[in-house]
Amino acid sequence: MADEHRRSGGGRGARGARGGEKAQGARRSLFRRRKVCKFCADKIDYIDYKDARMLLPFVPDRGKIVPRRISGVCAAHQRKLQTAIKRARQLAIIPYVTE
Amino acid sequence: MAFTRQYELVYVLSPDASEQEVTDLHAQVEATIARMGGELARTEAWGRRKLAYEIGRHKEGVYVLEVINGSGELIKELERRLRVNEQVLRHLTVRVDEELRAAERLRARRKVSGPRPERPASEGPVPAAADEQEGEQGKGAEG
Repeated sequence: MADEHRRSGGGRGARGARGGEKAQGARRSLFRRRKVCKFCADKIDYIDYKDARMLLPFVPDRGKIVPRRISGVCAAHQRKLQTAIKRARQLAIIPYVTE
Repeated sequence: MAFTRQYELVYVLSPDASEQEVTDLHAQVEATIARMGGELARTEAWGRRKLAYEIGRHKEGVYVLEVINGSGELIKELERRLRVNEQVLRHLTVRVDEELRAAERLRARRKVSGPRPERPASEGPVPAAADEQEGEQGKGAEG
């Protein structure tokens, strides 16, 4: 429940908070800051599978791809990121899932 | 050769391969490209790099990137040769012309519309609804 409130609060906040939303807005900011897609922010159109430094933040030690809900990457970029990571894995540039 | 497409070919050689073998293979690739009416646009030798995981008993590999303009037939032949060569640990061919063109289009569109004006409109009710859905999924996974 709480999660849903936070989500919808975020949407309204982006368009300018309306009256009566203040309490919710404050609570939201306490819990989690708003995530912005790293690739949109940096204006990266092509995610290069050869660039390990770009991909590594999205494959922590265990080697799993970080889900969008954690990383805040937008859907379009997550799709591209996914193929880039899988290509890089084939070439042993970044690891497969380990342990 | 009806279509010219751009490909990126990366291959990883065993660390036991001598300098000579590396240049030999590169020459072989180059010759094949020339013979089949392709064009070698760019070569990058990344040299010796640590592998992210062991391949066989190897912990390092020699990486070479070749950017090739040519046909699918050419790539077929190159891949066949790489598979035959025992020094090649891994190889990967990716067709890049379409992806690069798509990226170029995105860049052009951003330049035309400017960074701000388009965003708030497109971020209206539709993505918000998508967010909510995802929120519920997330809740299930987290809870």
